[in-house]
Amino acid sequence: MAEFVAQTLNGLTLAGVIFLVSSGFTLIFGIMRVTNLSHGAVYLLGGYIGYSVIAATHSFFIGLIAGALSMAAFGLLLERTLITWLGRSEMSELLATLGLIYVLDDVALAIWGGTPLTINLPGVLGQSSTLPLSGIVYPNGRLFILGVSVVIAVGLYYLLRRTRVGAIIRAGVDDREMVGALGINVRLVFALVFTLGTLLAGFAGVLGGTVLNLYTGADSDILLFALAVVIVGGLGSYEGAILGSVVIGLVDNYGTAYFPAIAYSVLFIPVILVLLIKPQGLLGKPST
Amino acid sequence: MTAAGVGPDAGAVSPAGQGRPPGRLAGLALVSLERSRQLTGPVAGVAAAVILFLLLQSDNFTSTLVVDMLVYAIAAMALDFLGGYTGLISLGQAGILGVGAYGVAIAEVHFFSPWAAVGISLAVVLALGLALGIVAVRVKGVSFVIITLALGQVLWGLAFQWVGLSEGDNGISVATLPTLGPFDLNDPLTLRMTVLLVFWVVALLLVLMVHSPFGLSLRGVRSNEARLAALGYRTGLHRYLAWVITVFFTGVAGVLYVFVNQLISPSTMDFSANGLFVIMVVLGGLRSIWGPALGAAVIVGFQQELSIYVTRWQTLMGLTLIAVVLFSPGGFWGLVRAAGRRPDALLARLRARQVTRPPPAPASRAPAQQGETR
Repeated sequence: MAEFVAQTLNGLTLAGVIFLVSSGFTLIFGIMRVTNLSHGAVYLLGGYIGYSVIAATHSFFIGLIAGALSMAAFGLLLERTLITWLGRSEMSELLATLGLIYVLDDVALAIWGGTPLTINLPGVLGQSSTLPLSGIVYPNGRLFILGVSVVIAVGLYYLLRRTRVGAIIRAGVDDREMVGALGINVRLVFALVFTLGTLLAGFAGVLGGTVLNLYTGADSDILLFALAVVIVGGLGSYEGAILGSVVIGLVDNYGTAYFPAIAYSVLFIPVILVLLIKPQGLLGKPST
Repeated sequence: MTAAGVGPDAGAVSPAGQGRPPGRLAGLALVSLERSRQLTGPVAGVAAAVILFLLLQSDNFTSTLVVDMLVYAIAAMALDFLGGYTGLISLGQAGILGVGAYGVAIAEVHFFSPWAAVGISLAVVLALGLALGIVAVRVKGVSFVIITLALGQVLWGLAFQWVGLSEGDNGISVATLPTLGPFDLNDPLTLRMTVLLVFWVVALLLVLMVHSPFGLSLRGVRSNEARLAALGYRTGLHRYLAWVITVFFTGVAGVLYVFVNQLISPSTMDFSANGLFVIMVVLGGLRSIWGPALGAAVIVGFQQELSIYVTRWQTLMGLTLIAVVLFSPGGFWGLVRAAGRRPDALLARLRARQVTRPPPAPASRAPAQQGETR
């Protein structure tokens, strides 16, 4: 039982990291119809930058902010250049960001090398504590990640559901042209959402670097998680990203713990089930 | 290839075009020029066939490279059939190729004869294609890409993690290849010729299918599925069949892959490998069958040759893909086609002059020219 509770917590921790990545991915897709395949590479790059900044400043939190902000800046640059140049062709954007993966991966390999890196959490976060009720000894760092992701999930929910900016973004997901016709600066909204998405990915990279290693190929692993989440939850749906992250995080962790030989395929089971029953995802709208 | 064949034609045309009212002789010359222009494609094809055949005769570095290119070209052309003509770009192509290769390897490990291993492998690939197609073709466009990407990653994960079946990271080596009387694939020359033969068979089958009514309706599915459905076509079935055909040919490439390399390991089907196939097709040119073959040759050459001299060749490749997407969506083959279009336009202009007899006044000639060049 204790083992199961620990695995469930592990799964939820993973779900937290996955949520931070996939919420950005799904928001970008939802509002801009841009499938940013390099989202996983942005995650990894954010993690690497965080690692280097932490090594230089000996402060985890400065590293966390540096990873997030550097990727936000990168996202803004990417949106203003490549994505704008491509002029709204879904498939071209997908292919160009596929090309970008090879560039970013290669640059990361040149700078940080091929050895897996791990980010160490400072002070009390690096220790473990005994959980009440079950008496399990569990790393504080993982609980921290879980807590941070929940806070961000709630914060984003508030932003999307209770603020004017959120109303514009949600309206944009439903009908971009109409939002533009109402006199809202759609270009600004696009840039904002894209930047927010890559900011979350960079942030997740530093957080994820503490529990999952940073290594060449981590980007495609995390991208697969994000893709599985958006298939299960529904492309473009924020609530779907939350639901999908929890499902995928738990399923992957149980799979890795109990069926290590086929962990990757266990991950695919919810994906296939959703595709067969509701191809647009659990909380997605039918495709236009 | 075509561009090179076209050059001399274009040069030969101009004297006839400059001049006096065209007579009988000029007419004959024009007809023969048009014929030779029509023949550039087939002639280039035959030339390519002869060159490939000769390159593969000797057992050296070049022939090894060319065989690799051919194997990848088969899978890239198959992907173009699905991605270019049907509009379903798959990011799981290397995974399918891996299934074909692992099928042979695993069957041989379990003491099946080499021929039986080939049969088992192709049957597994076909079954996989039939089964996964039910899920995969329920979605289109970006969602299809995402689902095939996930599929490719899952197949890679199985190869990597299911050590009991796949021997994990080490991969499986295949020592004995099929033999039938004097036809022995263990002989390197026979193997190379077989790969070449399969390449041409698959290429010609794909070209035939593309130009068949089935191929035309696939294009219809890509450009306006709703309309085709309204006309009574079963568009879902079309996409399903295109998927199964592509998966099968990719499996064939996988079988050849394991024969040529005598080893299959997870790195053949990782994310980067899946992406490479899409890059081959896009660089080569979507909707051309031959373009992706060219793309495969370039990428394999890049990977095996350029990587020795250019350390950051992946960056170069990624930037090339971005540049092609931005500036030349037709890919390499688009450039070849554009090169062929110029002599075509010239010939058409000459033909227009021939038809309008007696020789037209300059004033009436000008609009005709504009019409042709447009």
